[in-house]
Amino acid sequence: MTPLLELVDVRKKFGAVEALRGVSFALAPGEVLALLGDNGAGKSTLMKTITGIHRASAGRILFAGADLASHDPGQIRALGVEMIYQDLALARQQDVASNIFLGREPTRRFLGLPLHVIDRARIEREAEAMIRRLGARVPSVRYRVGDLSGGQQQSVAIARALTFAPKLVIMDEPTAALAVREVEHVLELVRELKRQGIAVILISHRLTDVFAVCDRAIVLRQGRTVADERVAETSMNTIVAHIVGAG
Amino acid sequence: MVPSEAGAVAAPRRGLSWRDLGGAIRLESLVVLVLLCLALSLLSPYFLSVANALNILLATSVIGILGFASTFVIASAGIDLSLGSVLGFGGVVGALAVNVLGLPWPFGIVLGLAAGAFCGLINGLLVALAGIPAFIVTLGMLGVARGAALVLTGGQPIYGLPAPLVWLGQGRPFGVPVPAILFLALAAVTHFLLSRTRFGKYALVIGDNENAARATGIHVARLRIGLYTLSGLLAGLAGLLFAARVNSGDPTAGISYELTAITAAILGGSNLFGGRASVVGTLIGALIMGVLQNGLNLLAVSSFYQQMAIGSVLVLAVWLDQWNRSRGRA
Amino acid sequence: MQRRILLLAAAVSAGLAVPPAARAAAPTYAVLLKTLSNPFWGAMAQGIAAGGKASGVAIFQQAAASDQAAEQELNICNTMLERKPAALIASAINSSNLLPCMKQANAQHIPVVDLDANLDPAITAKAGVKVAFTIGSDNIAAGAKAADFMAARLGKTATGPVLVIEGLAGNITGEQRAQGFRTELAKVAPGLKVVASLPGDWDANKAANITNDTLTRSPGLVAIFAANDTMALGAVESVFAAGKGGKIVVVGVDGTSAGVKSIKAGRLSASVAQLPYLEGIEAVANVKKILAGGTVPSVIHVPTVLLTQAVLKAGTDPLLQYVK
Repeated sequence: MTPLLELVDVRKKFGAVEALRGVSFALAPGEVLALLGDNGAGKSTLMKTITGIHRASAGRILFAGADLASHDPGQIRALGVEMIYQDLALARQQDVASNIFLGREPTRRFLGLPLHVIDRARIEREAEAMIRRLGARVPSVRYRVGDLSGGQQQSVAIARALTFAPKLVIMDEPTAALAVREVEHVLELVRELKRQGIAVILISHRLTDVFAVCDRAIVLRQGRTVADERVAETSMNTIVAHIVGAG
Repeated sequence: MVPSEAGAVAAPRRGLSWRDLGGAIRLESLVVLVLLCLALSLLSPYFLSVANALNILLATSVIGILGFASTFVIASAGIDLSLGSVLGFGGVVGALAVNVLGLPWPFGIVLGLAAGAFCGLINGLLVALAGIPAFIVTLGMLGVARGAALVLTGGQPIYGLPAPLVWLGQGRPFGVPVPAILFLALAAVTHFLLSRTRFGKYALVIGDNENAARATGIHVARLRIGLYTLSGLLAGLAGLLFAARVNSGDPTAGISYELTAITAAILGGSNLFGGRASVVGTLIGALIMGVLQNGLNLLAVSSFYQQMAIGSVLVLAVWLDQWNRSRGRA
Repeated sequence: MQRRILLLAAAVSAGLAVPPAARAAAPTYAVLLKTLSNPFWGAMAQGIAAGGKASGVAIFQQAAASDQAAEQELNICNTMLERKPAALIASAINSSNLLPCMKQANAQHIPVVDLDANLDPAITAKAGVKVAFTIGSDNIAAGAKAADFMAARLGKTATGPVLVIEGLAGNITGEQRAQGFRTELAKVAPGLKVVASLPGDWDANKAANITNDTLTRSPGLVAIFAANDTMALGAVESVFAAGKGGKIVVVGVDGTSAGVKSIKAGRLSASVAQLPYLEGIEAVANVKKILAGGTVPSVIHVPTVLLTQAVLKAGTDPLLQYVK
């Protein structure tokens, strides 16, 4: 099967600092991949390079056959790559509906003139539907995101990632700030995405989560891939050894 | 299937805001404006009339248009300190074009606007691409644009504009001053731009959370350049109106107007730290200052008391806002 | 692209700051102005340059960024003394900010000239600063001259409301002009009543607004006095826009080029010209006299001239050559 996402020797330098020193892996459609590594191993840099926030210094990133090097973040999203950031990347003074459609507001012509205005009614309608489909308890899509609780805000971030039929969803520490019961909801979401054939990259420190939902695990250390194993064929101790560099 | 909230969800409070007018109107501003009008109606028999209302609109037009410019920039968590100087520069360029170069009057308008937009474009390029803080860039432009206006004119006002340009500042079709018409029309256009288009929405999002804007594919640099160019363009327009009103391109026109413009935006409920801004709010903020100034003139209040009154109203409006917010939290 | 813009910006601002290069041979007079950003001081600077040329001396001229930058002006003054000028001609932003620098000049035996009478003799004496001479126009007399004109134009028995537009609140020049006007008007035409005296902050737009507002209150307004021409132009254009052009006497002070054009065009009624250009020439000429061992009066008043359409048309007043 052709991979959905393929990284070939991706490198990223910030001035003299080399954050990524050659990362290669491939991801199949519907596959759930764990991206592991200690703080500073290069996980965030790698994800931001995939989503186009950073531009790779060398190497190739192919997504569904397209080379992402020439794409900006908006174009990469349009190809079907979504990321849920750890800080959620929400505009707190905008309402729920606006956040869900951020960067992709549908427009309509104003009074038939060649003036394009944001189609507010459609945004609210579709945001409402998405929130309901996710079963999220957000009182109204007109609430300002800054007025919502942390869990509700995460629901908004998730809704934003899922509204436009993504092919790959990257989640950065989605369970780090949640209570035990809420964690189970996130893991169930990951399984549901897999059932729908959507690939997931899960960045997490919690190995129990990884072993619960992931097919494969990749370990980064000092900007390199040091391990790429099938979760069913490895153990937590082996993974930990890779992470800390004792393996 | 998604994390639903564990405990009961406390319904978050929506601040006193008037959603359909851009979601950022402070009712407090409107209350202050209405109270001010009531008080002045009682204090002066000349205040409450159509003619005086038109006078207020005329007097507020230049500052108000600069206020709209600063509303966009403030929305994006930026600041434009060069507005007053760019106003002076735009007016001078327009006056020079028709008066010294002898070009037909439409060129005066086009060149005046272009001069303003050019200053704004340079501000935008330096902020967005060179990454210099807006405060520094526009402070520099404050000096450069003012200096350029003085150099171009040798420090002397360019007196005498062609009749169509003067009409722009002094005409009264159906008894309504042209600057007042332009002022209200621009309020409608810029309100539309800020509240209904992607350009306006993204300006607010950049000011709210720049990382979120980048992550969702918004072209932050391009948008910033657009915002500062718009700001300069509006300042150039205000400069042309100023020049038309006094029939001369004055290189010292608009000194310190940027501060009044920013004050109007803040009075109207815009957040100086970005993410929340409203043109209608700024319109109300500018009118508060215009009405107050008009009232003080009608009452012939001496200069020292005028400064005290203006300062007091500013503090009152902001205090009302804070009081309302803290009550909401409790 | 960015770098080019940066360079351009730097070049423009540097070009504004670079002083005219001092010529080596001739004695150099250091000239420090409050500001260059208004026509009055612009004309003063031109007059000084012309005076320097006429007297064969080099002029090293600088100005503060604005007439509020008192401390910056002192710094410029101190720096100027480093160049060991033959004389220091300074218009201080207020009565005390330049005193330390002037004291230093005294110590270096550099004569100090109080340009445009900004110093308070009592404070100057107390600080132990010696001033060679003070040169300036009498602002109170300028205001009075405007009142005399108004009385002559409207008649000594005329009645009606009059508006006074003051300068920046607290500024001595504006206050003296307005005060001179009010005092004289009460004397020569007691029927003309000042109904409002409001701050126009030297701003044409604000003066236009004040005029509109006052016309609402006093539609029968007969005259307006503005403490400078910039504001007078705002006022007169507002009068014309209100359809009362020619029915209200509007008088300014300064005799700026824009003011003159407006008078010629039949809009502004008159302006009391202060002749800063002549003041500049006179200042330099008198310094030369002192350095040659001569004596000059301790206070030199530069005359003013009342500009009206008739005076400008006749063109016979010899002082007109100094109206810039």
